[in-house]
Amino acid sequence: MGRYVIRRLLQFIPTVLGTMFLLHYMTSLAIQFSGNPVRALFGDRTPDPALLAAITERLGYGDPCLDQRGNPCFGLFLDRLQNIFFHFDFGINLRQREVTDLVADAIPFTLKLLVIAIVFEAVVGIAAGVLAGLRGGSFTDYLVKISTVFVISVPIFVLGLVVREFVGVKFGNVLRGQDWIPDVISSGMFSPGFKPDYPFASLIIPGMVLGAVSLATTARLTRTSIMENIRADYVRTAKAKGLTNKRVIGVHTLRNSLIPVITFLGVDIGAAMAGAVVTETIFNVPGIGRLVTMSARTGESSVVVGVVTMLVLVVLLANLLVDLLYAVLDPRIRYE
Amino acid sequence: MRGKFLKVAVAATATAMLATACSSGGDDNEPAGESGGTLRVYNAEPAFLTPSGGDDEPSLYVIRQLYRGLVKYNAETSAVEMDLAESVESTDQKLWTIKLKSGYTFDNGEPVNADAFLRSWNYAAYGPNAQNNGYFMKRIAGKADVAPADPDGEGPKKAPEPTAETMSGLKKVDDLTFTVELDAPFSGFPTTIGYPGFFPMAQACVDDIAKCNETPIGNGPYKIDGSWQHNVAINLVRSDTWKGEPGKPDRIEYRIFADIDAGYAAFQAGELDVLYTLPPARYKEAQAQYGDRMYEQPGDSFTYVGMPLYQDAFKDKRIRQALSLSIDRQSIIDAVFDGRFTPATGYVAPTFEGAREGVCKYCTKDVEKAKQLLAEAGGWPAGEKLILWANAGAGHDLWLQAVGDQIKEALGIDYELKVNLQFAEYLETADQKKFTGGFRLGWGPDYPFMETFLYPLYGTGAGSNNSGYTNPEFDALMKEGDSADSIQAAIPSYQKAEDILGEDLPVIPMWFNKVGAVYSENVDQFVWNAVSDADYGAISLKQN
Repeated sequence: MGRYVIRRLLQFIPTVLGTMFLLHYMTSLAIQFSGNPVRALFGDRTPDPALLAAITERLGYGDPCLDQRGNPCFGLFLDRLQNIFFHFDFGINLRQREVTDLVADAIPFTLKLLVIAIVFEAVVGIAAGVLAGLRGGSFTDYLVKISTVFVISVPIFVLGLVVREFVGVKFGNVLRGQDWIPDVISSGMFSPGFKPDYPFASLIIPGMVLGAVSLATTARLTRTSIMENIRADYVRTAKAKGLTNKRVIGVHTLRNSLIPVITFLGVDIGAAMAGAVVTETIFNVPGIGRLVTMSARTGESSVVVGVVTMLVLVVLLANLLVDLLYAVLDPRIRYE
Repeated sequence: MRGKFLKVAVAATATAMLATACSSGGDDNEPAGESGGTLRVYNAEPAFLTPSGGDDEPSLYVIRQLYRGLVKYNAETSAVEMDLAESVESTDQKLWTIKLKSGYTFDNGEPVNADAFLRSWNYAAYGPNAQNNGYFMKRIAGKADVAPADPDGEGPKKAPEPTAETMSGLKKVDDLTFTVELDAPFSGFPTTIGYPGFFPMAQACVDDIAKCNETPIGNGPYKIDGSWQHNVAINLVRSDTWKGEPGKPDRIEYRIFADIDAGYAAFQAGELDVLYTLPPARYKEAQAQYGDRMYEQPGDSFTYVGMPLYQDAFKDKRIRQALSLSIDRQSIIDAVFDGRFTPATGYVAPTFEGAREGVCKYCTKDVEKAKQLLAEAGGWPAGEKLILWANAGAGHDLWLQAVGDQIKEALGIDYELKVNLQFAEYLETADQKKFTGGFRLGWGPDYPFMETFLYPLYGTGAGSNNSGYTNPEFDALMKEGDSADSIQAAIPSYQKAEDILGEDLPVIPMWFNKVGAVYSENVDQFVWNAVSDADYGAISLKQN
């Protein structure tokens, strides 16, 4: 087990370096082909060359290779790696703030949002899947089937905008008109976006929206897996042995059925981060996703490289954890 | 519409009255608006909260409440009024003597004296400090020594070392007096120094600029509560050290949004009291829904189609006149922008002192005249397409296409849109004068003085003269205005200069924006300053 973990960790190195180089190359190309982002800061006012040069230098866009189209800027990449790995310095954004500060500010919001999303999709998704799987062809089954198809077929930005408009604004305004509803519900939870006064309550709905897309997949996976396992020999044995129904379903069936679901949830953390880019922007959550959106819009390469590198690490670690969880869930799997 | 203007006018007069009330002891019958309460406003994430750094709208909105400068602007007329300055005077419009009122301090107790201003201006101008508002110090003598230009004018990257740390044009006379020497006479100088880039900074602020950016040390009616919560909120409370006219709300809360649509949703949900701008797609809806709580006024942001005078095809002014005459501006505004703009008939924003209607005689559609002028000029080069440039991803292609269609219909000139350049590269193309056809650009004034719409855009060799326009007569008239005895005396010269533009058409004026803001039921009196926009400190809330 230890050796396996070490081997996996070693594999991280080329993956992370490769990703970083790709990002570096793409952001460098973006500057080479679409111009110095510092110039865009001034807009219609043409800055005098001295000022432009000073700010360009300060922000780290002064390397001459950024003027040569197609140049992969290896020197700049090595500098960047050195700064990141030896000095833990990810550079600064166009507003001269440290990328590490930006990320440190943003991470708590994204983590809260992700936890809400994953808990929501795991609890509701698995419960719906189990109900549907145990009674195949029943009303519950159809209800789960139809509602999941509905959620799956709506892209997340549409869902987000609709929820903001109708739940946050319209329905929320009705609630806010009622005196007997506590503020934390009416102006906290049903706020059309993140609200600093209610840092947790106002994230619940955005988190649910983020979880909703994968909720459908979770429910469906659980349903299929339960249906398959419920006919398996070991379940029949367990029943024949006289175990209570609760134990047969809760321990024996569910444990085995959850393997694909757990895999999915693990992989889904990466997808959820991608979804967070959309949901955080719609619901104005000051997290990593919104940070990426904003810095991609203005072409802040240091932020994009820094943040995405961190995201890659998160996804890699999540995948490793999922692989290790297999062994816990399924005794047949062993890592040697 | 009329009622709204009246209401704002009343609010503005009320504030003006209040300013003079102390000395005159005037009557209290005017609805002055009570103070108190928390004003919650929309904002985007500011770039910087220091006077030397913040040059974008969200930064300025916060800085204007945290800091105060030498002068302020009248909410209605945009006339210059003394704020911290006792007087701003000059006999030759070149050497300005500024006397300060005494008794003002920063939040940390430091006095707001001559040093506070010199310190701030020198800090902004010094090249290696890389402060965005260094741009605004360009008129002060000695600017070139603290931020020298590139010697070769080509390699944009490595800046040469400055030869001085402070600008030679700034001299302290005594604690409350200093002089500013400009490179050339400029009668509009007093109008420029109300811009936040000219606000003072404390020594403690310059010593640790990063900290001062997070927790500003201001000298204005409000101070920061805690520190800047990046991307989340900025909260201001009344400052006890402020000796001037106090602000109306006890507290101003800036909520920070990533995009205006999320801000509009929050406004609809009653979480905001003021939304200083509106999502374009929601403009009509807001008009219908908020009625008299929507504030509309002609703005001062100018959109034009530049003419590359460095290209042969555009050298003849009759060609430019013909192109301009083929465009029906109002129909494009109605069709593409839901009427959110005012067609331009001149080069100076209609809200400015000295602006006139109909300066450009070629800015209303007249196909016959256009055809005639084009024929006189020898027609458009056969087989050539008219290329129209705009930056990508900002929705400019929609209206530019309408412009192209109208020209094609009127003059039979086929056009081609070139809208694939990102903003940064687009601006670099403009700087290098490489456009091959008409190009979209805009302009917003830096100070409430006609000159800001004229010289920077059309003066020979001026920074934003992207057309490459040169006219000695125009330059001479601008000089004449610059050295006039007063702001008012300068206007006739500038108007003559504008007339020349109206004939020469170095750029085709398109339109000026309209300001659209909404405010909530909690707001008692909404105040919009003609120069500095929504004036949060002057907005009063209903007290109950």
